Amino acid sequence: MPPFRRSCIFALALLAVALAPGIASATTIYAASSLSKVVPTIAPGNRASFAGSDTLAFQIEQGAPADVFLSAAPLYAERLHAKGLCDTPVVFALNTLTFVTPASNPANITRVQQLDRPGGYRLAVGGKNVPLGIYTRTLLGKLGLGRALQKNTVSQYQKATDVGSTIALGSAVAGFIYTTDWYANTSRLRAIPVPASAQPLIRYEACVVRRSGADTAGAKTVISRLLSLRGRQTLANAHFGLPPKT
Amino acid sequence: MTLRTGIFRVLLVVTAIATFAFLLAPIAALLLQVPVRDLPGLLRETAVTSALLVSLKTNVIANLIILVVGTPAAYLLALGRFRGRPALLTLLELPLVLPPAVAGIALLTAFGAFGLFGSALTNAGIFLPFTQAAVVIAVTFVAGPYYVRAAVSAFAALDRNQLDAARDLGASEGTVFRRIALPLAADGLRAGWALAFARGIGEFGATLLFAGSVARITETLPLAVYAQLDVNLDSAVAVGILLLAISGGVLLVAKLPPLWSPTGSSTPVGGW
Repeated sequence: MPPFRRSCIFALALLAVALAPGIASATTIYAASSLSKVVPTIAPGNRASFAGSDTLAFQIEQGAPADVFLSAAPLYAERLHAKGLCDTPVVFALNTLTFVTPASNPANITRVQQLDRPGGYRLAVGGKNVPLGIYTRTLLGKLGLGRALQKNTVSQYQKATDVGSTIALGSAVAGFIYTTDWYANTSRLRAIPVPASAQPLIRYEACVVRRSGADTAGAKTVISRLLSLRGRQTLANAHFGLPPKT
Repeated sequence: MTLRTGIFRVLLVVTAIATFAFLLAPIAALLLQVPVRDLPGLLRETAVTSALLVSLKTNVIANLIILVVGTPAAYLLALGRFRGRPALLTLLELPLVLPPAVAGIALLTAFGAFGLFGSALTNAGIFLPFTQAAVVIAVTFVAGPYYVRAAVSAFAALDRNQLDAARDLGASEGTVFRRIALPLAADGLRAGWALAFARGIGEFGATLLFAGSVARITETLPLAVYAQLDVNLDSAVAVGILLLAISGGVLLVAKLPPLWSPTGSSTPVGGW
């Protein structure tokens, strides 16, 4: 065979391999970034994409190949459900917020009420449209600190994990993150107590994505694993709260 | 024409069409997503106008730094004869291969509060994260290498005999640079700058990590696109089109003379 034709055939073969749809039958999990530590343990061997729940919901609305959606807030799972893009969502985990500073606490913050002082601190918080940001605003509202985000220099992030890293690296002197994210980074972040009565209700919801070609059976397996005794144990080990057993 | 050259030509045309279709289809889709008459309204939102101002201000400063410092540095790197020159040129490419998020982390580990120079900066009363200075640094760091790299190629392509002729006629080194090298390399410099500008105005990862996303201070247009995505897709697309128009406009203006020249050789950027 002439070398040229041989290389053409080789190139076509490569192309065919590259374009072939995923042969492995792994389930595609779209999960809130705060779940990045537990999902690989609970549902190993699957493809998982981690991002802000709002971004994931947007991607699924744009036809992303998700099979199951694990949302850090009921809002997004229920929005997809209302649009017929996923089955009825189920609650599988709970969380709380933790007010944190860098381990060295450079601004010497001891109480969340200090945020009320005008002109004060560099804060890192979730964006106003992502679950972490919505919960943070709820918590501040309950504490009567609704204006704290106007009174300080506030950097807003779409991804929950970016908030923690920004504080750990000292760019911000304080901020609000998920309690589970704090437990994952206790050496670099110091927790400052927040009144329990101010905690928002944080529910994680899972739903089976409806689209043609979805791995519905695989998605149901992932959800039943989340709800199983072992799944609940893994979630509890990662410091998630658990909903009443169904 | 033999069969084999025929196949080869078909292959060339097919790959060229595929290249254009693949690279331009997403841009066309973006433009078709929002009716043109809705654009002004979507762009009038305060979040968008303040992000536009932040982007313009920081990018103008960053580009001035890139041009003023990068041009003479590239001239030396291109025409100087000294040991380790190839190694230096390769080192300059390192920031190019860093993923933007890694570039942001690198900047934080250097200039962040707990970074290498953090305490020195703090003692000097300078705190960079969450300031526009940090945006300028992020843009300069990420976009600068594109310009310097192109400028080195542009200067290296100069005919040294012309430069030597000017010297023989008594021109000082400064005059040779200003009156001979700069005008002759202008096309290449412009093309390199356009690419650096486009890269800088679209900078996202390094800015988010190093400068944060503080409204009216460090929230640039690309950060605003990301934040708007879930609130209002149309508005995010409108900001995307605005970014495209800015970068496209700069690219066109910078490349205009070569585009109109009879050979039409839009100066290729890159390659030492």
